[in-house]
Amino acid sequence: MSYQCPTCKKISATSLDLARHMIGRGDKSHRDWINSKGLKYSELLAMQFKSFGGEGYKALAEVLERDARMPEQG
Amino acid sequence: MSKYSVIGTRLQSIDATEKLTGSAKYTTDISFPNMLYGKILRSPHPHARILNVDTSQAERLAGVKKVVTGKDTIGKKQGVWRRFPDLCDEEILCRDKVRYVGDPVAAVAAIDEDTAMEALSLIKVEYEVLPAVFDPLEAIKEGAPLVHYGVELNINNTRHIEWGDVDEAFRRCDHIREDMFRCSSQAHACMETHGAIASFGYDGKLTVHTGSQSPYYIQVLLAEMLGLREGDVRVIKPPTGGGFGSKFELDSAQFCASLLSMKLCRPVKIVLTREEEFTATKRRTPMYYAVKLGAKKDGTLLAKEVRAITEGGAYTGMGATALYLTGFFSSFPYKYPNYRYDGYRVYTNTAPTSAMRGFGAPQATFVGESQIDMMAEDLGIDPMEIRRKNGMAPGYEVPGEAFIGSCGLHECLDQIEERIKRRGKLPANRGIGVAAYGFISGGIFNWFDTPYAFSAAMVRVNIDGKVDLFTGAADTGQGANTTLSMICAEELGVRLEDIRLHVGDTSICPPDLGSWGSRETLMNGSAVKMAAADAKRQLLEFAAAALKPNIVYDLDIKDRWVHLVDRPEKGMSYFDAVKAAIRGKDGEAIIGRGHYSPHRKGMVSPAFSFGVQAVEVEVDTETGQVSLVKATTAHESGTVINPIGIEGQLEGALAMAAGYGLSEELPIHDGKIQNGCFRDYKLLLAPDIPETEIVEVETYEPEGPFGAKEAGEGLTNPTAGAIANAVYNAVGVRITDLPITPEKVLKALHEKKHKKPSEA
Repeated sequence: MSYQCPTCKKISATSLDLARHMIGRGDKSHRDWINSKGLKYSELLAMQFKSFGGEGYKALAEVLERDARMPEQG
Repeated sequence: MSKYSVIGTRLQSIDATEKLTGSAKYTTDISFPNMLYGKILRSPHPHARILNVDTSQAERLAGVKKVVTGKDTIGKKQGVWRRFPDLCDEEILCRDKVRYVGDPVAAVAAIDEDTAMEALSLIKVEYEVLPAVFDPLEAIKEGAPLVHYGVELNINNTRHIEWGDVDEAFRRCDHIREDMFRCSSQAHACMETHGAIASFGYDGKLTVHTGSQSPYYIQVLLAEMLGLREGDVRVIKPPTGGGFGSKFELDSAQFCASLLSMKLCRPVKIVLTREEEFTATKRRTPMYYAVKLGAKKDGTLLAKEVRAITEGGAYTGMGATALYLTGFFSSFPYKYPNYRYDGYRVYTNTAPTSAMRGFGAPQATFVGESQIDMMAEDLGIDPMEIRRKNGMAPGYEVPGEAFIGSCGLHECLDQIEERIKRRGKLPANRGIGVAAYGFISGGIFNWFDTPYAFSAAMVRVNIDGKVDLFTGAADTGQGANTTLSMICAEELGVRLEDIRLHVGDTSICPPDLGSWGSRETLMNGSAVKMAAADAKRQLLEFAAAALKPNIVYDLDIKDRWVHLVDRPEKGMSYFDAVKAAIRGKDGEAIIGRGHYSPHRKGMVSPAFSFGVQAVEVEVDTETGQVSLVKATTAHESGTVINPIGIEGQLEGALAMAAGYGLSEELPIHDGKIQNGCFRDYKLLLAPDIPETEIVEVETYEPEGPFGAKEAGEGLTNPTAGAIANAVYNAVGVRITDLPITPEKVLKALHEKKHKKPSEA
């Protein structure tokens, strides 16, 4: 299973890795995509600051699980 | 008998006499005919829009030759992270906004410094003052002023490191701690302030004399910022009075002097004042940490989670690297099976933070080593034992990040434990604290995006046997010149006095990334060794004709004697071999080339040094004053090239790191650094430095030249943590906020005394 960044097409092995990539890049195009999904980039970041456990990443990963999963090959 | 004739001997630094007699010429000592003097006008506001800069009155002042502002630049932004254009965010001469007190706005060239200073007072800058934000925890809040347009929540950079299943591992832990820490800023406090003399000629070529940790970086960045070709910029590095991370980025003196010189075709010299050095150059990154650590009852560390928020100041600088390295070194030097790090670098309207000796690792080590002691106490385990149980060992892989080749951590623990026991029972209010550490021997990262090898060297053997060694290495006082000359002499089989070193001139030396990340011994040293080996091979091909070994590999050179390895008495003089070789090569000098870039060595560094430090302190419970009694460091840096050099590094690092632990900080009020002079900035002085003992634990690092690795920055990592642990062991108060000032100790003692029994 792999996941493709809807913005820059980077491929990640897990939805959590892809979430880290998208929040980490944090440029306008990545932020806009996140915000278009009903999440708020700044809130995801704030969740990361405020608690252990990577909650901000996990919230985005849930969305990516649905919207960024690549079809199985072969 | 040592197998080496040069390496491992106690040799005086090759430039010591020049420096001790005062004959070494630093940038500030140099002058040229027709030279002008420059000064820089800096922002008095932490955050403001520049509405207008009126330079007319200054330009009319007698003796003023030129005034430049941001409008005179080509409008580029610079940064060492060239692979990520978003992180190249510093104009140096601001055009639109100023972002910290000290941001440059204009520069003047005049016939002398007084006239240049007077001209600055005549420049009228109209500002629209903007709301400012100084604390990263405030800057990340919704609605905080934005330091850079479009950078949401002022997040400059984020870094994430993770391996294992952290959440699951915490569920298996018998004991978990969650602690908060804060690490303060620190000034590099180099003896030599930043300075440059730029000379632009009518031939369109720029020459800049400047003390620097990386002449190559400065050459490339100046070319980019001034619209020149790299080959038209020559950077010459005179002896340099300290760098410690502050001198490998392009700075305001270098840029403004160059810009003014290009306008005038005259040499322009700018040397920053000590106040500018404190308030308008970069500094160590302050960091907030939240750390969760989980262990089994027997002290096995199962999981660690770290969140760090760092105060970036106004620009990126090298702060993004510090953000990564503090996360990486928060796992050091232990074998955490499960680890997670999230780091956030936040823009603020304060002086930019960047690289400083240790590069994020001193902060991580203070935090990590404090918490390890706290965990050991919770579990009722000896602090040495918990370190031994979890410490890294040779062959360990930091999952997905790095491979640990040589590692003498456990030997260092043994050495320190033995010495602590020898101290016996301590008097009241005295305590010994321990901290273990590790550090990189050069970084693998190439954010500068250079296609050149990380290090390169060339060796030329002349007819009289004298050896010219050309390298791009940058000695800033740490002794790289001596170390590299020793490596060259050893490999070539000659004496140190046979080497003539050529460094610090981009027009004749091969490119080298410079002196940062403790990279010179391993990386440049490997290039030098390769170049010397190349030259030696050519010599031996001709010597073989005379000595007739079975194959040329049976020959070697040692102490100027070319000989059969198995029959050392059979040989010929090195000088005769050189003459034969040059004659045999149609009169061409022998030239050897070498280069080094790490390949397939993980994400971080090709090798790591390790060590353990014990610091004994005495706490005055009436005043809170912490005095250093003794410091013992067992350091492991592979093969020791120059013992004197390592001892010097250790003693210097201790003074710098103890200052970080006890007294150095840069308090900021309304964006302005409050202690911009040596009267108010509390460096430790010679009487504050305790008796020091150094224990060299030798290992062999296969990736390093003759088995050597770093001994520069790593030594600054342990001290603050060791002091914090020592204070706790002395009087039972735990300080988690650097520096450990008398006020904090006294407050903690007061709180401890008045704690209710139920809270104890």
